[in-house]
Amino acid sequence: MARPSKTCAICESGVRIIDFKDERLLTRFLTERGKILPARLSGTCARHQRQLSTAVKRSRQVALLPYIKGFGG
Amino acid sequence: MTRSYEAVYIFDSVLEEAAVTEKLDRFHALLPQAEGAEIALDHWGKRTLAYPIATKETGYYVIAKFDVEPTALPEYERALKLDDGLIRHLIVINEGAQMAPTASAKDGEDDE
Repeated sequence: MARPSKTCAICESGVRIIDFKDERLLTRFLTERGKILPARLSGTCARHQRQLSTAVKRSRQVALLPYIKGFGG
Repeated sequence: MTRSYEAVYIFDSVLEEAAVTEKLDRFHALLPQAEGAEIALDHWGKRTLAYPIATKETGYYVIAKFDVEPTALPEYERALKLDDGLIRHLIVINEGAQMAPTASAKDGEDDE
């Protein structure tokens, strides 16, 4: 029996368009290594998952988020 | 037809505040603004980078929001690329993104 899917945490927080500078919100949807969590695990809705992936890629470019966390510099 | 853009600048942290503002003025002089329209500047100041960029660990972040004719962008971007005090920049179309309300009760002090 399919597990009832979790509600989208971003919809709940009332954000309509994710800001790529908001790394506190973004880190909640990354693994410890800094990879983007798949929507099936984080329960994010498709619209926000699409915004999330572009936001994470932009914030990685401006060094707000690491590409690989815990990677010896 | 002007469009609204958002730019993130990361300056070399050795530059002090005056040099940064002087460079910003030079960049924004290339963006012809409609009368009365202001460029919204937000100085985040010095922050440690998530990964070293050009062997530098910290950068001086400035966020700018402005409305400009798209035709003015190439010249502006060329100036950004030529400046060596600016280690990275990102220009995106401003979609009016909002930050999530930080549940202040949860994380208490701001760790920015």
